[in-house]
Amino acid sequence: MNAKAPDTMGEPTITPYQSSQPVGNDGFGQLLRSEWIKFRTIRGWVIAMIAAAILVGLPIVTLGNTAKDNNSIPNQPIGPNGLAVVDSFYFQHRPIGVDATITARVTALTGHTLLPPNKGAFKPPGAARPQPWAKAGIIVKASTEPGSAYAAILVTADHGVRFQYDFTHDVAGLSGTASAAAPRWIRLTRAGDLITGYDSVNGRTWSTVGTVRLHGLPATSQAGPFVASPTEYYSGQQFANNDGQPFTTIATAKFDRVALTGAAPGGSWRDTQVGAGQVGPLCGAQTGLSCGAQAKKNHDVPGSASGSGGAVTLSGAGDIAPYLAIVDPIGLSYKGSLIGLIVVIALAALFITSEYRRGMIRTTFTASPRRGRILVAKAIVIGSTTFAAGLVGAAVAFPITEHKIAANGWPTSIYPIRAIASGIGLQFVIGTAALLAVGTVLTLAIGALLRRSAGTIAVAVLVTIFPLVLATVLPQTPADWLLRLTPAAGFGLQQGNVHYSQVSTTCLPYNGCYPLAPWTGFGVLCAWALAGLVAAVIVVRRRDA
Amino acid sequence: MSSILIEAVHAEWTKLRTVRSTAWLLATMTVLTVGISAIAVGVVKCPASCTADTTKTSLTGVMLGQAIVAVLAVLVMSGEYGTGMIRATITATPRRLVMLSAKAIILTAVVITMAAVSVLGSLLAGRFLLPHNGFTRAAAFVPLLAYHGPTLRAAVGSVLYLGLIALFSLGVATAVRDSGVAMTVMLGLIYIVPIFGGLVLSAHWRHIFGQYAPTSAGLAIQVTKDLAAQPIGPWAGLGVLAAWTAAALLAGGLLLRLRDA
Repeated sequence: MNAKAPDTMGEPTITPYQSSQPVGNDGFGQLLRSEWIKFRTIRGWVIAMIAAAILVGLPIVTLGNTAKDNNSIPNQPIGPNGLAVVDSFYFQHRPIGVDATITARVTALTGHTLLPPNKGAFKPPGAARPQPWAKAGIIVKASTEPGSAYAAILVTADHGVRFQYDFTHDVAGLSGTASAAAPRWIRLTRAGDLITGYDSVNGRTWSTVGTVRLHGLPATSQAGPFVASPTEYYSGQQFANNDGQPFTTIATAKFDRVALTGAAPGGSWRDTQVGAGQVGPLCGAQTGLSCGAQAKKNHDVPGSASGSGGAVTLSGAGDIAPYLAIVDPIGLSYKGSLIGLIVVIALAALFITSEYRRGMIRTTFTASPRRGRILVAKAIVIGSTTFAAGLVGAAVAFPITEHKIAANGWPTSIYPIRAIASGIGLQFVIGTAALLAVGTVLTLAIGALLRRSAGTIAVAVLVTIFPLVLATVLPQTPADWLLRLTPAAGFGLQQGNVHYSQVSTTCLPYNGCYPLAPWTGFGVLCAWALAGLVAAVIVVRRRDA
Repeated sequence: MSSILIEAVHAEWTKLRTVRSTAWLLATMTVLTVGISAIAVGVVKCPASCTADTTKTSLTGVMLGQAIVAVLAVLVMSGEYGTGMIRATITATPRRLVMLSAKAIILTAVVITMAAVSVLGSLLAGRFLLPHNGFTRAAAFVPLLAYHGPTLRAAVGSVLYLGLIALFSLGVATAVRDSGVAMTVMLGLIYIVPIFGGLVLSAHWRHIFGQYAPTSAGLAIQVTKDLAAQPIGPWAGLGVLAAWTAAALLAGGLLLRLRDA
């Protein structure tokens, strides 16, 4: 008998008790379900969420309906796509046929800002320099009528050579500015309705910058060198005056080696100021300049030309670009959703803090000890219900508000009525719902950290909404930083005005414009919500309930 | 004061000072008010914005401080409903309007004191920072704290403004009882309504908001420049806020009397 053999026979093995009940599901789905039941069985919360949907939509429509201050919007020429454009420049041109080439060398582009005497002591920075998008080049244009189709190859002050056509299109060519030491050669060819732009540093080796087919270009079109210099906006300050101040700028360009083949018979070189005003789009109450005074001022800075044919110096103001609206009625109307936002912030705060107040949180944590997952489940439940409510409110409001704005006389050439399925429509509808949803997730995280409802609601409102208030009273630079860095950046989703990188404009939160692109700003809000949720999970796991 | 009111005030003072959140909230209010004001005067520059109303700018922090005042005032009443303490309070002081008055007196005293500290701190920040930003005597700028009627009005008025916000919040909290709901209503009135006043693209409605919205009208007391261009005068604006406050307290008082605790 082996004495070392383990004694397995002496005592019976004790089997631990096991219930004959099947093992319960403790998966995440179950957790989501229990949080959803907690939400939907409290009648006040469900009613508040339905009210939130109404309080998102109704204020938007109300603001759209009352938006009537649009009498300072000037008449702008209409471009080939039916939208308003700025089309004024100084042009030396002659008619060309369907098969033509025009070449020129730009040896200088200088310019400065004109300082009207009534601007007081404020001297805009960079007034002695050309406007960054001051442009000189050669253009083929259907006619000298503002708004007619065109294609141009041009040199800019700060953005190199560009090939632009039909106001909204812009293709980059050579970088750097033009000077006597480093001139820029540019060439435009017309073959039927196909226009091609070329650039070169020496006039021997050419590269194609861009090509466009201008449908319906008449057999005889106008071509030649031109110059334009857009209005520059300086944000003087917003304590008393919430608008960027428009300043006329002027540019002077030197062209030589101008050569044209394929001229239409019977034509000759002529100088034309295209467009009525040389200067920008703004006049009226917003700018402090009456439209009459603005028009008078335009006559004070006429374009001019000296020389002709081979070498010419052109001087002028204006721009060839889409007209960018300053005021954003649909964007401002959608800020009405703030009323809905404050309701869902309160709901999200109560969704977590009421558990702490009633001691329910201990039951919740006993039932599912993995606290991080509970917070995530709560975030998903409150976020998705808010998203659904916000989507209904924002979607119903969109077509109504767009039509109200048009009916209030905002010109559709500047403020087109957009379909809900368009890019802007989806941005407003889905964006507003997402903005509210992520706001509730951030609030939930704050609630988990603070555990008290009053404090949670106050902090959530102070970080998401207060920056909007502060941004309207601070100067523009710090205001822009507030709207880039705080969760309020998410409101950038509610921007209805299109911006183009090749057009200088003024962007003030007061008018519904934000420094970040719509979805980028939303990303900032998401980053805050995520950081808040991570912090909440860490703290809730470490802390006693 | 009748002895019953004095006793009630004493009881409310004991409750207020022994709750840890009171000191925290008052300290936060002061620090944030002075801090935001200091940032505002730190970023405003002359000549770019010589037209700025420097007194109003120096008092920018009041826009944030009022939210913390509202939290404190809401908790003074709703906190008791949240914990059930209100039943003990009403048992001790069965005359409910005396209890509400005692709360109002002690809350106003505490808020006014700390508001005065915050406003003084904000003006001091303006006094020392503004001259560095080009707001000098040469630029026709009157240094803050030098005797200047409109600045004095704005300073005293801002202190009163914060006191009224506290009483307004107390009235709302008494009426709705729940701290979450009371906070939502107050923050909506403090921030969302003035934002609306700025959003509406109609001069007519903008003017109406400026005249009748409680905080938009109330903050008119901070204006020292271009008074004629404002929708409402400084004292009239503060009067509008006072009327709203009286209405909220009246509603709260009535409901308190009529309702079970």
